[in-house]
Amino acid sequence: MDIQGYKMPDELYYEENHFWIKEEGDFLVMGMDDFAQKLAGEIVYVQLPEEGKELSVGKKFAKIESGKWLGKAFAPVNGELAGVNEELETNPGLINQDCYGKGWMYKIKAQDKAEIKKLIHGPDALTKWVLADIEKYKK
Amino acid sequence: MVFLLCAFVPLSLCPSLRRRRPMESKYDFVKKYREQVLQCSRCGFCQAVCPVYGATLRPSYNARGKMLILKEVMDGKIPLNDELVETLCQCTTCASCHKNCPSGVNVPEIIKEVRKDLVHIGSCHPAFKGMNEVLEKNTNIYAEEKGPDFGRAKNQKAEVVFFIGCVGTYREDEATEATLDLLDRIGVKYTLIDEVCCSGVLEDVGYQLNERLAKKNIELILATGAKTVVTGCPYCSRTFNKKPQYQELKDKGVKVIHVSQLLKDFDLGVKTDKKVTYHDPCDLGRHCDIYDEPRETIRKIAPGFVELPHNRVDALCCGAGGGVRGAFPKNSLAMARRRLQEAEDAGAEVVLTECNSCVHNLANAKLRKQKFRICTTTQFINELMEAKEA
Repeated sequence: MDIQGYKMPDELYYEENHFWIKEEGDFLVMGMDDFAQKLAGEIVYVQLPEEGKELSVGKKFAKIESGKWLGKAFAPVNGELAGVNEELETNPGLINQDCYGKGWMYKIKAQDKAEIKKLIHGPDALTKWVLADIEKYKK
Repeated sequence: MVFLLCAFVPLSLCPSLRRRRPMESKYDFVKKYREQVLQCSRCGFCQAVCPVYGATLRPSYNARGKMLILKEVMDGKIPLNDELVETLCQCTTCASCHKNCPSGVNVPEIIKEVRKDLVHIGSCHPAFKGMNEVLEKNTNIYAEEKGPDFGRAKNQKAEVVFFIGCVGTYREDEATEATLDLLDRIGVKYTLIDEVCCSGVLEDVGYQLNERLAKKNIELILATGAKTVVTGCPYCSRTFNKKPQYQELKDKGVKVIHVSQLLKDFDLGVKTDKKVTYHDPCDLGRHCDIYDEPRETIRKIAPGFVELPHNRVDALCCGAGGGVRGAFPKNSLAMARRRLQEAEDAGAEVVLTECNSCVHNLANAKLRKQKFRICTTTQFINELMEAKEA
């Protein structure tokens, strides 16, 4: 769905720092949403930790950087890092070009995939959250 | 015919004489550095050492290319305008060219002056303009509202002030935490202060050092009664020691040193069997001639120390300086990757350096296949001490 110019597919789940999460087989796939990539500008660096890194929900596990912004990726669920998008190592701009596709970032093996139900999901929740953040970042 | 005409016109209008007596230029770089620009003999020694050329292979980006362009500007053949921003702003001011120039042309100083001219005519790189705007409104270069709490005393009376710097506070805070732990371990009595950006970088990107910020730092340092400031950042140390806006520190008997100069006198009592190498930061090495102190410390803790092929005055720049990381991030990381290739070829397991900005850029550029560690010397020593205590 489009929310004031931001493309926010409503079938995805969203973590409050503007990362999307979706189920893919036994794993969860995570990436940056359109709101964050537009706000950040050209992404120049994505930290790609080693597979197997333990993830605790709400805890920082990686850094992302644009020319003007340093972002942190927080674990959306408990589990471990199962894979990373190695293309981003030399082409982090893929996040700007295709944040929901070729610009995916991390693959996670969740302890309990049902934990994603606690994330932001569905048209109403999504609209309310994005509109609030548009206001917040106007300042 | 020309001769006849010249005989009847004022001397100053005669073309051949006009060439000998150039009009006063509207650009400050011409007033200050005209002779230096003309001194460039176009030998190209700079091309071999320029990190921007090394990453881009574009001759206009190295010092010789830039001097040729500036000569054209001085001769009025091309204007100084937006079209030259991409070329003239792409210099890390690492000073490799200057140190290797047989004619002694001080390219970084010329480039800094040209950038000021670009600002004056309204042709400035947006990232450089942004840096100045950020420091007009904020107290750090990243416009962060709040930094991490390092859990140390601030603004206390102490013998030593430890000055962290913006990168150490907002980008490499783990390295800073480790440095503070190390200072505690070796018994240095220091205080932190509510420091603000030293703002030296503004001089590199076409602006003036921010007087308001300089005054704030001086006031906070003097209030502690400390006679020594130890900086975690080579650039801050260089700014405090060399910029007139910080002269008051010297006048009041405050000595400013980099943490590597402090550490060399300590018996650290730890060793590593890892193959360690060292990356000379430009701000510590070429700009301040500090090459030996870091090595003295590293040799004490790492008998397996190896030099990188380009070291000391010939060290390759990491690509972060002169505003290049902010304005041209892709080329900046490409420069860092060239440096890391040397570390990989040397078989290093640990790359140490003395600059958080270098750590930041090198760590960002490191490929996953490169398994060596990159960190500051202080962070590495602190970890060795922690391990020994455990």
